[in-house]
Amino acid sequence: MPNKTGKVLLIDDNDIDLKINYKIINLSGFFQEIILCQSGSEGIDYINKNLDEPNSWPDFILLDIQMPEMDGFEFLEIYKNFPRPFLDHCRLAILSSTLDFGDIKKAEANPLVIKLLKKPLYPNELQELLNKHSMLLGI
Amino acid sequence: MISTPTVRVLYIDDEENNLQAFRASFRRQYEIYTAISAAEGLLILQNVDIHVIIADQKMPNTTGVEFFKGVVKTHPDPIRILLTGYTDIEALADAINHGDVYRYITKPWNDLELHNSIKNAYDAYKGRMDLRNKMTELEKTNDELNRFIYSISHELRAPLVSVIGIINLVKMEGLYDSSGEYWGLIETCSNKLDYYIQKTLQYYKNTKDVPDHSEINFGLIIQELIDLHTYSDKDTKFNVVINQNVKFISDAFRIEVILSNLISNAIKYQKTNEPNKTVNIEVDVNEHKASININDNGMGILKEHLEKIFMQFFKGKMHHGSGLGLFIVKEALDKINGTINVSSNIEDGTTFKITIPNAK
Repeated sequence: MPNKTGKVLLIDDNDIDLKINYKIINLSGFFQEIILCQSGSEGIDYINKNLDEPNSWPDFILLDIQMPEMDGFEFLEIYKNFPRPFLDHCRLAILSSTLDFGDIKKAEANPLVIKLLKKPLYPNELQELLNKHSMLLGI
Repeated sequence: MISTPTVRVLYIDDEENNLQAFRASFRRQYEIYTAISAAEGLLILQNVDIHVIIADQKMPNTTGVEFFKGVVKTHPDPIRILLTGYTDIEALADAINHGDVYRYITKPWNDLELHNSIKNAYDAYKGRMDLRNKMTELEKTNDELNRFIYSISHELRAPLVSVIGIINLVKMEGLYDSSGEYWGLIETCSNKLDYYIQKTLQYYKNTKDVPDHSEINFGLIIQELIDLHTYSDKDTKFNVVINQNVKFISDAFRIEVILSNLISNAIKYQKTNEPNKTVNIEVDVNEHKASININDNGMGILKEHLEKIFMQFFKGKMHHGSGLGLFIVKEALDKINGTINVSSNIEDGTTFKITIPNAK
């Protein structure tokens, strides 16, 4: 059972969804800290800024696919080049409303993506995923 | 005044007299280009947009047939006419059978006959171009439609999913019953709209996509689908028996659509007062086909409805289906040459029997 020690990074260009998912995670109490990013590059910036501070590393990232400028897949292309210790520490799932079979296949084929969650985010679905990965998450 | 199109004709012959005679006969009707050798002809072909090529069969360095065989790859569009004596029928038959030559004219030519041949050749050329333009147009329309569908699946669905997310928050904060039944009604409507969007996309994708060939692991797919559909309703018990020892190749998307709709129906149309809601799924896979049985002890289908359930927008009176699920199942099976049979009665429930050929 996950407890409130971890940090989660939400990356979504849609501020309503960002607010909804913030509230859902906040109410479920899975994480102590929720970091909100309105774009892929904001997410990359956050990680870059904190690379030397393992205490500030997110334990978990929820990434949207459809975003202007840098979409989820482009984010992953940059993300995969972060140092190994960081990638070993942090887990990433996609959270998208996509029904596009191509998107779904592409996301599932990416080794850095532990799961494709479909919007809306359900607390029990997230909890199940976190339980499965709680050892890896260290939370 | 009707303007006639400019038809550009290239005539290749090693005899200058023939070239001159040709020019004299046809210069009023066509834009004429002449060449004294195959090499010179090729040069013109590279620089001018020629519609019809006429070549003499007997030339010093090459034959007309060989020349055509050479240009058919680099310049496939111009229509090719061969000018020949009676002597080399065999080479000629071969060339015609390979599609290198559209027509042949015997020498010495008859002006009227040659004129008609050029006219027909140009019509063939035009037909070919029209077809190609139509193809390009069609591809463009198709692309646009694909983009449109893609944007429906994102732009139209994204805000709807936000609404459903807000309803979930309302539940989590204990406000669901705070406004009478209004939140419940909003939830019902939102779910219905989402369902229609999903089914419409499934239907569209099924009609359009060429079947793909990927390896199908029935055990995995069925388990995933059961997990997905029992997420909100865990009352129904599933017994799954899979016998798959051979590789099965088919279309992954369509198989998922078929099984997903049937599994979802089996859960949705249970008897409300049945204490042991059960669905049995059996899959037998061999070299040739997969046979799938999906049996439930649900409410069953009226005999007079059995023939109609695969029709678009057919709905049972008592139940709130969309009239799309089984229609899409049937359409998807048709695309991958599968079959479906159903038997049902009100007492025992419903059994669907499906066969899908192994495309390996």
